Amino acid sequence: MRFLAVVKAVAWKDLRSEARARELVPALAQFVILALVIANFAFDLSQVSGPRIGPGVLWMVLVFTGLTTFSRTFAAEKDHGSLDAMLLSPAGAAPLFAGKALAAALFLLAVDAVLLPGMAVFLGSPITLEVILVTILAVVGMAALGSLFAALAAQTRAREVLLPVLALPLWFPFIVVGARAVQQSMGGAPLSGQPLALLLDFDILFVVVATLAARFVLDD
Amino acid sequence: MSALRARGLTQRFGSKRVLGPIDIEMEAGERLALLGDNGAGKTTLLRVLATLSRPAAGELQLFGVDALARRERVRPRIGYLGHRSGLYPHLSARQNLEFFATLYDLEPARARSALAEVGLEDVADRPLSELSRGMEQRLGLARSLLHDPELVILDEPDASLDSGGRELLDRLLGGRTAVVASHDRALAQSLCGRALNLRAGRASSDPALEMLG
Repeated sequence: MRFLAVVKAVAWKDLRSEARARELVPALAQFVILALVIANFAFDLSQVSGPRIGPGVLWMVLVFTGLTTFSRTFAAEKDHGSLDAMLLSPAGAAPLFAGKALAAALFLLAVDAVLLPGMAVFLGSPITLEVILVTILAVVGMAALGSLFAALAAQTRAREVLLPVLALPLWFPFIVVGARAVQQSMGGAPLSGQPLALLLDFDILFVVVATLAARFVLDD
Repeated sequence: MSALRARGLTQRFGSKRVLGPIDIEMEAGERLALLGDNGAGKTTLLRVLATLSRPAAGELQLFGVDALARRERVRPRIGYLGHRSGLYPHLSARQNLEFFATLYDLEPARARSALAEVGLEDVADRPLSELSRGMEQRLGLARSLLHDPELVILDEPDASLDSGGRELLDRLLGGRTAVVASHDRALAQSLCGRALNLRAGRASSDPALEMLG
């Protein structure tokens, strides 16, 4: 119960800060719209159907908005000195990390809430239940890994360079499985349960590993 | 039993030794001033004493516990305020303290009483970004003392405080064990009984701990 109370407090604190500051989500939404407009004009939609290029646009936008979101996750805490203040509390590193990762995942899901309808409007990509499920499952795992590496990168001066170098190779399973599943679903083929089960397995693995590793990464 | 006992504390950044070896022994309720110019190693030593940074060598015992091996046991007994307040600019003063009260498993009422202790009840619902630097420093002090710590470690706590700041600090520290870094010898004299002078990471006087006053 105490673990969950800390997770909730940390995530709620980040959401409330963003609601007041409006720094991250509007910038991400702007990036999403820009990416969709570029895709709309760059690809010849009369020859290449929207559903075929949709998965590529979806994962490209998710990866880049993810890197932006996670790079801010711990950098701001470090800059304000609040990470030290949190670590001195008896809350423990694991729930602090889980709360930060949860907030980051919710920011990325907010991006999806703009991205998926935008893809339907600009590219004609259908929004199916499978696409939504795949995206949510991928975001959970990407948030766990992204936040862990963001915590590591925040300790260094080259944080913006280090985060993609560390995160992208381990996001690869989510991108490959997720892109194939979304491609299948947007193409009208029924989605088998295998990609969803695989993404769920990745989520469980990476959420557990990242939460356990958090204390070694957050603390000196 | 000493409240704080440090033996041969040394810190290195890469191959460069930036601190130590430093020896300190403090009884419960004692206050120690850390004096020294910029770059003398005050902040580095404070972070090691607060268990936020692992020393390259040496021993640190807080309240009789090996603070390097069992950090999680001693940390809740430490109140630390560094150069930055450790607060969130877009949350109100009250929301900031309520957040930390949750981390320490305290009632929200404790956040309200802490605001009163530093005289910030009137601005409790204003975002931190709208408060003056001095008010932010007061709030940082309230945050570091929220859980009634036995050992208080403050890095230049007088920065930006107004004329009543010294009395406020004295009142807030009360009978706690405290290590206070400052450039200001007058502040150190008014707050602390002893001082450790640091120069280039080393205690510059012998005996290292001199009496103030």
